[in-house]
Amino acid sequence: MIPTIHWNLISLEVYLSFILALLIVMDILIPKNSKNWIGSLSFAGLLGLFLLWLQQYQLWGQTFGGMFIVDSLAWFFKGFFLLAMFFVFVMTHQFFRSMGQRRDEFYLLLWSSLLGMLLVASSADFLLLFISIEILTLSLYVMTAYLKSDKHSIEAGMKYLILGALASGLFLYGISFVYGASHSTRFAEIQKFVMASPQDPMLLFGFILIFSAVGFKIASVPFHLWVPDVYQGAPTPVTALLSVGSKAAGFVILLRLLWIVFAPLHQQWAVALAILSAVTMCYGNLAAIPQKNIKRLLGFSSIGHAGYLLMGAAAGSTLGGGAISFYLLGYLFTNLCAFLVIVLYFAAAKSDEIADYSGLSQRSPILACALFLALMSLAGIPPLAGFFGKFTLFVATVQSGFIWLAFVGAANVIISLYYYLMVVKKIYMDPPVSAYPISVSWPVRLTLWFAMAGIIGIGIFQGPFLDAALAAVKGMF
Amino acid sequence: MIGLSHYLILSGILFSIGIVGVTTSRNVLKILLSLELLLNAANLSFVAFSRFNGDYTGQLVVFFVMLVAAAEVAIGLAIVVLMYRHAHTVQADDLKDLRW
Repeated sequence: MIPTIHWNLISLEVYLSFILALLIVMDILIPKNSKNWIGSLSFAGLLGLFLLWLQQYQLWGQTFGGMFIVDSLAWFFKGFFLLAMFFVFVMTHQFFRSMGQRRDEFYLLLWSSLLGMLLVASSADFLLLFISIEILTLSLYVMTAYLKSDKHSIEAGMKYLILGALASGLFLYGISFVYGASHSTRFAEIQKFVMASPQDPMLLFGFILIFSAVGFKIASVPFHLWVPDVYQGAPTPVTALLSVGSKAAGFVILLRLLWIVFAPLHQQWAVALAILSAVTMCYGNLAAIPQKNIKRLLGFSSIGHAGYLLMGAAAGSTLGGGAISFYLLGYLFTNLCAFLVIVLYFAAAKSDEIADYSGLSQRSPILACALFLALMSLAGIPPLAGFFGKFTLFVATVQSGFIWLAFVGAANVIISLYYYLMVVKKIYMDPPVSAYPISVSWPVRLTLWFAMAGIIGIGIFQGPFLDAALAAVKGMF
Repeated sequence: MIGLSHYLILSGILFSIGIVGVTTSRNVLKILLSLELLLNAANLSFVAFSRFNGDYTGQLVVFFVMLVAAAEVAIGLAIVVLMYRHAHTVQADDLKDLRW
C-alpha cells in the first residue's frame, strides 16, 4: 500500500526545489554579462516562499509515514530561516558587488543551504535529519572556501570540512547505535523505546555521540575549535549564515530531540548541560577579549551566545525551550545587523580589523548607529532584544533550580560588555582613519532600518514574540 | 558462530582507526581517508543491526550515507586542490594563517 502524501505540508520544500532547478538552468543558459537575473529572481522567490509559509500557519500534520512533520516548532523556525536568508541575500549582493565580481552561482549554494535548513526543521526521522544536515553543511563547506584567490578562505574551508565531517561521522555512528537499540530511525518509535528502557547502554552511547555532533553545530565548548577560524576566513555573508542559520538549525534539533525524543533522559543530563553551558559562555566571552578582527570577535561572542542558549536547554522546561526560540529570534536581527554593517564597511574600507573601525560615526552615522545597537543588544542592555532574551533564559534557569548558573550568566554579561564597549569606543570616540564618508544606498539603508526596528521592537513589544516562541515549543509533537 | 558483537567490534575498531587518523595525521589526504573510514564504520554497524534485528531500514540508510560520503570527499578533494595551488602543500600543519 502506498501511503498518501500530503503535498500541502511539503509545499515549501517542493517550491524551493523548483526555484533551485530553475536557477541552475538559468545559470547555464543566460550569458554571463547580462543583467543579474539570478539575484533578482532569488529575492522574488524568497518573497513567494514567505507567502507560502504564512499560508501554512496552523496546518500541522505529518506525511511520508511520519518521516516529515510540520508542527508549530517547524513552522516557527522555517519563518526564522527565511528571514535570515533575506538578510544573507542582501549581504551577498553587496559583498560581491564590492569585490567587482558577479557570482551568480553563489545564490544557488545559498538556496540549497536553505533547503537543508527547512528540512532540518521538519525532520522526524534520523535518516531525513542526517541528509538534511548534510545538504546544509555541504553547501556551507563550498561557500566557506568560495573565495578561490583568498588563502584565508581556503584554509577556513579546509578546517570546516575536516571538523564538520568528523562531527557527521560521530552523528552517524550515534544514530546507528540508537537504531540498533530501538530497531527504528523514526522519532516516534525511538521515543516509545526511550520511555520503556531509558537506561539501555547502546541507547546512551548513541545519545552521547549524537549530542556531540549537535554541539558542533551550535558551537558549544568541546566542539567549538572550528568557530573562530572559520568565522574569520569565510566570506562575510557565509559567516553571518553560519552564526545564525547553522546555529539555529542545531537548536531546532536540540529542542526536538531533548524535549520530545529523549525527554526521559533530559532530566538526568540537566546538570551536565548546565556545566557545559557555564563552560561554553565563560570560554567564549573570555577568549573574545583580546581579539583584533571583528569577525573573529563575533565568532567568540557566538560561542558565548551558544552558552547562554544552553542555559535554556539545562532548564529543560517549556519556558526554557520558549526562551531559546525567543532568544534566537532577537539574536537573528542583532547578529545579522552587525554582519550587514561589517559587509558594508568592508566594501568601503577593505578591512575587518577593529582598529580600522575608529571614527566610523563621523564617516557614516547610520552604520555606526546600527553597529552600536547590535553590539548593545548582543551584550544585553535594556530595552533591546538581547536583554529580554537573556532575561527569559535567566528566569527559566532559576525556575528549574540552577541559581548558580544564572549567576555565571550574569557575570558573563558583564565580561561581554567590556569587549563590546571597546568596539563602541572605537567607533564613537576615536579619530577616524580616513575622512571619506561611506555612502549607503537606499535599499540597504532600508534593510538596516528593518534590522534595527527588529532589535528595538522585540525588546519593547516582547509579548507577542515571546508568546509565539512559547507556542512553538508547546505545540511540538 | 559469528554474531552481532563481532560486527560491532569490527566497526568499533574501524571507527577508532578513523578517529586516530583524523586527529594525528599531518597529511590532509590521509585525514580525508580517515573521515571516510568513520562513515564506513557507521555503515557496517547499520548493516549488522539491520541483519540481526530483522529490519531493513538500516540497509536503506547505508545507500544514502554512501552518496553523502561521495559528495563530501568530492568537496574535500576540490578544496585540497585549491590549497595545493595556493601553498604547494597538502600538510595540515601549514594551515596556520588564521591564528590570534
